[in-house]
This record gives sequence, C-alpha cells and structure tokens, in this order.
Amino acid sequence: MVARPPSDQEYSWLRRLVGNQQFILLLVFIALFAFFTDRNSVFLSVSEIGNNVTEFCTLILLAVAETFVIATGGIDLSVASTAEFAGVVGAFAMEHQSSHGQALIIALGTVVALVTGAFVGLVNAVLINVLRLVPFVATLVTLGAGAGMCLVLTGGSPVDNDINAIVMTRPEIGPFSYPALIIIAITVISGLYLHLSRFGRYTFAIGSNPFAARAVGINVTRHTSWIYVLSGTLAGLTGMYLFMQLGSGSPTSADGAELTAIAAVVIGGARLTGGSARLTGTVLGAAILTIVSSGLIIMNVSPNFNQVAVAICIALAASMQVLRRGARKDA
Amino acid sequence: MTGGAAPLYEVRNISKSYGSVKAVRDVSMAVSSGEIVGLVGDNGAGKSTLVKILSGVYAPDEGQLLVDGVERHWKSPHEAMEAGVETLYQDSGLALDLTIGANVFLGREKMKQGILGKLGFLNQREMDKEAAEDLERTGIAVAASRRKVGQLSGGQRQAVAIGRAVAWAKKVIILDEPTNHLGARQAGEVLSVVQAAKNRGLGVIFISHTLPHILQVCDRIVVMRLGLVVRDAPTASFTAETLLGTITGLHAGELGVGA
Repeated sequence: MVARPPSDQEYSWLRRLVGNQQFILLLVFIALFAFFTDRNSVFLSVSEIGNNVTEFCTLILLAVAETFVIATGGIDLSVASTAEFAGVVGAFAMEHQSSHGQALIIALGTVVALVTGAFVGLVNAVLINVLRLVPFVATLVTLGAGAGMCLVLTGGSPVDNDINAIVMTRPEIGPFSYPALIIIAITVISGLYLHLSRFGRYTFAIGSNPFAARAVGINVTRHTSWIYVLSGTLAGLTGMYLFMQLGSGSPTSADGAELTAIAAVVIGGARLTGGSARLTGTVLGAAILTIVSSGLIIMNVSPNFNQVAVAICIALAASMQVLRRGARKDA
Repeated sequence: MTGGAAPLYEVRNISKSYGSVKAVRDVSMAVSSGEIVGLVGDNGAGKSTLVKILSGVYAPDEGQLLVDGVERHWKSPHEAMEAGVETLYQDSGLALDLTIGANVFLGREKMKQGILGKLGFLNQREMDKEAAEDLERTGIAVAASRRKVGQLSGGQRQAVAIGRAVAWAKKVIILDEPTNHLGARQAGEVLSVVQAAKNRGLGVIFISHTLPHILQVCDRIVVMRLGLVVRDAPTASFTAETLLGTITGLHAGELGVGA
C-alpha cells in the first residue's frame, strides 16, 4: 500500500485533537480516576461518587463565574467570600419563618442569597467601572469586606435555623441531588451562552481587544458590569448550596475557594489576560481538582497536602500550555 | 467633484485645539461618491486630528460636518458608523482571539431565527458564510472564516480589517495608513481593494505617508501642513516632486499655497 500524507482535513482533525487542551484534560481525568480506583475500590462506590459530585458542585459555579470574568481579562477574588456572605444572609432570612412551608422558606432563602450575591457583584462593577479600580484590587476589597461582614453578622459562629435543608442534598437521581442537577444545568446553560451567544461573543471581544470592542459600538462598561453581577449571583447560589450541605450559614465555609476556582479555569486552558477560555476546560479542571482532593483522602494522604496537590496541578497545566504554544509556533 | 449634487461627506471650516495648540485650523474638504481623496501631510500636520473628527472620535471646536448635504454631529464613532462612515484605524482594531467571521460581524451579529435568537444565540454559520462572501466581493482572499485572526499574518489581518470596513461602509470609508507595515504585494492587494470600493460608489479618504500609493490610487489630493489645508487639487496636477514639496513646504510646492 502506498503511504500518503494525511489530507488537509484529516491532518487538522488529528492535530486539533492532540493540540486540544480539553481532550488532554479528559485523558488526565480518566487516568486519575482509574488510578484512584485501582488504589482503593471505594473510589467507585455510589457514596464516594456522591461526595465527589457534591464537592464538584460547590466548586463549579465559582469556576464558571471566574471563566466569564477571566474571559473579559478581569479577575474576581471575591467569589468565595461572597458565597459565604450570601449563605449567611440567606440563613438569617430563613430564621423565624417556620409558619410557612419548608419549600417556600428555602425558596425565600435562595432568592435572598442570589440578590445578596448580585449586590456584591454590583459593588465590584461600581468599583471597577466608576471608581476605575483594577479588578484585582476592586475584588480584593469586596473579598475583605464580605468576609468581615460575615464575622460581624455572625460573631464567627454558624447561623442555625430550624430549616432542615440537608435533606435537599440527598441523592435523588443516581448520585445527583436536585440542587446538584440544577447546578449542572446552570453550568451547561452558561457554556452555551459563553460560546454561542452574543453575550459570550462580546465577553471574548472585550477580553481580546477592548478598544476594538468599543469601536464597533459594544458598551464595554455595561457588559463588564453585567459580568461581575453574574459572577456575584453565581457565588450567591453557591452560598445557598453550602448552606444546604451544612444546614447552617457558615462564615468560613468557602474560605480559599476563589483560588481553587481560578485554578480550575487556568487548568481548563483559559488565558488570564482575557480573550480565550473554554467552559468545557473549566468543567474538566474543576473535575480534576475535585477527584485529586478526594482521591488523596482515600489514599490516606493528609488533607493538608491538598493545597500542594492543587498547586502541582496548576503548574502542570500551565507548563502544558506553554509547551503547546511553543509547538504551534514551530509548526 | 460631480457637479450639482452635494458631496457624500464634507467638512466646512473645521477647527480643533488642544489647549493652546491649534491642531486643525479652518479646514474644509469633501469626498464624493466613487472618488478617492488622498490626505497627506507631515507628522504633526493635523491629519490624525482631522481623521478623528471625521470618524466621530472628537467633536470639532468649530465648523460643520455634512453627510449628503445634511449637517451631522457625531456623539461617538459608532454613530458615524451607523450613518455609513466606516474608519479603519492604523492599529486595525481587530479582536485577535475571535475568528474572521466573528470580527467581520462584531457589533452587528446575526442572530438565530425565532426563540433562540430572542434568547441571544448567534447564527454563526450564516455569519461565516456572509463574511467569506463579503471579503471575496471586496477582492480579498483569506483563509476560511472560522480561523482566528490571531493566526493570520499581518497583511492578512489588514486585509480582513479593510474588507470588514468596505463591506459595512454604506457611504464613506476612511483608511488611516492602510498599507503601513505591508510588503509590496500585500500593499498592492490593499490598493486594489480601495479601487474596488471606489467602483462600488463609496467615497474613500485615504491617508498615507507612502506617496507612490497616494499618487497611484487617488483622484484628488488634499495636503495639510501645520493644521491648514495648503493644497486641494486633482492628482494629475502633482508630480512626486511637487507633492513632496507641498507637504514639506519647501521650494516648488509653495506655488500651490492658496490655490
């Protein structure tokens, strides 16, 4: 048989697959999953998969929020503190409401948490677009303010109320609880909007070249304001999800989660200077971080090593990007 | 200029100062349908300021802007675009991370039909197809619409930027140094695109430091010096030497002052 070079189409198909960060991340995810299962078959048990789903759902909305923000060339350091603040405020709103049905009270708490998150996002938008602070500083301010407000409101201890919210996180369909399914649905819809809608197009345009975006009539100020409000709202929803897991509004439940969320986005292949991100990459990044931390626990590695593991994941993903960029230039 | 009808785009007695510096002084010029007007001048002659006034970036301190004989006041470049005046800036203004198709339609996206469109979803296939047609019609052959602009060479990027401007311009297209940083062949392609735009009945304002390009494609040349228009005459009345002289204000060109 005569060897022939791959046609243009085959070539680009093959090359796209190998040069595709998502594809490599998927392989890494499968390899890690197989590795942990091999070490301890408990990893494949329904309850452990359920734990992973819960951890993933706690992380993913913050990572989705961060994907949108990073795509515009910004950063939101306040997401975790906003989630805690929204969870605490939501928990307060649900106190002394026992005369109503439980579903109604939880709905009320969710709305309050969402509005609280959106409000923090609006504060970020004002700091960035009106006071002209760079996103890093603006969201550092709200990170501190949100965490401080949590402690002021709660005195440092969780806000208990008589809502039995933990029941909400019970698995209903396979390992998925209803809130987990809602969070996954929101993640899918976010991905569709980021990559297929005009809102997403403008998000990338602004991150890629804000001057060009402005020149064609995109209202950059308004768009980035919406992005931070969206980020805050997703953080608020995460706050409510944390409340359901813990059964109380904890002022410290998500400490440090903003860094894990940013890590998921970076592992997913996004460029921190904006213009380039994939939501599927973020999802795989969050999934990898989730199973690494639960896998280490199952292997009896001290949980204190978790942050080190996250750091290694980031370093590997980032150097992979550098290698790929280099390879493309050589080609 | 065609007799009778008002020119497509005209400025009358425009002035603009930055503090005590008068960048543009009492400038009048016009471009008609199917005409290429070259705008030349040394650095600091006031070309850039005039271009920014024409494209709606700055409002003039004094003077009038008229489109089809009707006075207009641009509040933003976008407003000028909506009125049919497209500007291609020196730094080309493309989003490198977006595809060719996305860049051509940036700010004027085509949405999906029905409910999906109402929900904000894009009709990317249609945009890619039309972008390819638009670029082809303007005489530009670049790779598939789905490639990212960042993967193109400098010349190809410039071609996309010009193609976008020509495709969208309804009346006037302002090209600020479109052949800068281009090789001879690519510059030639750009000039043929400018010709094609003229043949489609657009008015073209062509700003360049490369005088051979100006002499090659322009019907008329407007020369600025120290904020003033010192000469506005058909290209045929210039030679390379007299044009250079008029720009620098040395010897031969002085004859043209006040003409």
